[in-house]
Amino acid sequence: MNVLLVEDYQELAKEIVDFLTKNGYLCKWVSSQAEALEEISVNEYDAMLLDLGLPDGDGFDVLKDIRKKQAKTAVIVITARGELNDKIDGLQLGADDYLTKPFALTELGARLFAVIRRTHGISTNEIDIHNFKIQLQDYRVTFEEEIINLTKKEFDIFQYLVLNKNRVITRLQLTEHIWGDILELNSDSNFIDVHVRNLRKKLEKFAKIDWFETVRNVGYRINM
Amino acid sequence: MVIWLSLPILIEKVVYKRIDATLLEKKEKFTEHLDKQEINDFLNRNDATETYSSFSTLHNEFLQLYQSKKTSKSAASFFKNEARIIEGEQSDYRVLYYDFVYENTNYKLEIGSSLSEIKDLTFAIRVFILIVLSIVIVFTFLVDAFFIEYLLKPFHQIINQKIRHVNEPEKFNYTTIQSHSTDFQELDEVLNQMMKRIQELFSIEKQFIANVSHELLSPIALLKNRFENLIQNESLDEEAVNKIVSSLRTLDLLKKIINNLLLISRIENNQYITDEVIECKGLLEDIREELQDRMEEKAIRFQIDLKENYHFTGNKTLIHIMFYNVITNAIKFTEQGGSITVADAKTSSQYAITIKDNGCGMAQEQIDEIFNRFTRLNVHKEGQGLGLAIVKSIADFHQIEIAVTSELQKGSAFEFVFQTGKYRN
Repeated sequence: MNVLLVEDYQELAKEIVDFLTKNGYLCKWVSSQAEALEEISVNEYDAMLLDLGLPDGDGFDVLKDIRKKQAKTAVIVITARGELNDKIDGLQLGADDYLTKPFALTELGARLFAVIRRTHGISTNEIDIHNFKIQLQDYRVTFEEEIINLTKKEFDIFQYLVLNKNRVITRLQLTEHIWGDILELNSDSNFIDVHVRNLRKKLEKFAKIDWFETVRNVGYRINM
Repeated sequence: MVIWLSLPILIEKVVYKRIDATLLEKKEKFTEHLDKQEINDFLNRNDATETYSSFSTLHNEFLQLYQSKKTSKSAASFFKNEARIIEGEQSDYRVLYYDFVYENTNYKLEIGSSLSEIKDLTFAIRVFILIVLSIVIVFTFLVDAFFIEYLLKPFHQIINQKIRHVNEPEKFNYTTIQSHSTDFQELDEVLNQMMKRIQELFSIEKQFIANVSHELLSPIALLKNRFENLIQNESLDEEAVNKIVSSLRTLDLLKKIINNLLLISRIENNQYITDEVIECKGLLEDIREELQDRMEEKAIRFQIDLKENYHFTGNKTLIHIMFYNVITNAIKFTEQGGSITVADAKTSSQYAITIKDNGCGMAQEQIDEIFNRFTRLNVHKEGQGLGLAIVKSIADFHQIEIAVTSELQKGSAFEFVFQTGKYRN
């Protein structure tokens, strides 16, 4: 999943990027309001971490803008001010959660995943899907207590399709959210299909997976 | 020098004039009281030669009187320099010849004054002047050097602070440089004005790039969103869905072309900070991990064979893109089961990383073209021909040289040469 980090304090930003990258997110960091506005008008993000105090303007404007354009992006507002009004304004303008500086990175990780989950209408970290149990964020998929070994990419694809259940997800969307903003153009090639094929094979060993649908020429859909 | 050469001549002239004057004076004195008696007295002292001579003790002057056979109508006198031997000693004299008639007898009077002293004097003057002149020359040279250095100090300051070592308009230095001469103040002022104009143009261009990216990419994102929602519609037939997917692909292509062009123009506008320490080995390992699935798909053997642990400062994101593009390019043009190797070499002043594949290779005329924008070697392969143009821009930006060698059907090698000894900006 891809996350946009809007933070002007470089040290903190680097720490967050490191942490999120280690936890399997694709993290894009920008340090000003202008860059943030440009970024959200161009790319689709699963989540945004937004510092309210930016050198060239107010983070609230970014928040308003993303709510106009991308309803599905989970937004966590980071505030150093610690003022109640900021938190309330943020939440009212459409932020999903807030964090006050200083915060522990583990807390950030937990909150981030919780808001992503919630924006996709899922309330717990464990999802039951046709007897497969998927532990979001823990990279664990089980079938009747038996662990299924998936590679990181296979899990990412599976998780993304589950979060966006009942929707056709194109290959391009998958590359964008899992491989990131690849600049070269053959990102539509069949290496994604290879991963999906392997994933399906691993799941099929345990049960029939007719709910895992391949939409010809388009992409994939998980029906729930 | 001219003074040194001409001064002795002038001195000589002046001295001659004075000598001539004294000689004439002496002649006047001598002839004033001259009478027959006296002449005879003179002549009688030296009967044998009928010549009277008198010398001063130091031989610096003499006087000679004798009868001459030659008749001259009037009294005439002239000066002449000549050597005389007086009592066995030869030296140069300035001699006044004076012919006169006294009681029908022609007489010749010669009064001489020694020149040797004068010669000594002029020589001494010459030496003295030479010494004085050389001291003056050295002195003025030193004074000039210091003074010019002092005068040109603002000039060097302007060059160093404003022109040399300043590549980016953001780093322009507008501080006024102190100077005592209005010329430099003016130069400084004009330079500042010029730099301001450059910076303005630069920021306009930057703004333009930002606007383009915003104005072009926003509608693309909007359309993309709309199409993605559209294909969720179950009632669409397959043909319609295919058309939408194909439109999505076109939009993606458009977005990536714009992003790539923006990337190039941002690199060329120096909009990237290059202060990160980059460790080549780790970076290449990261790329290997990222591209592992794609290489497995083609069963390509990827080997990183680096002996050195080379670090340099630059922009990590850009260097990542540079290597990434070259390696994905190699993957694209390498057949099933091929291999790609990354090796390095180090000399005293250079470090080189070579990325080599055993793919289809290129002909020489193709090599010359690959770094141009929108050059596609193989129209059947996907790609918009910007990947290597970006590689070139990034390499130029970091002062990395690229050398490409390739042979058709054998493979290609991209060599990245880092200058290790040089000052890096």
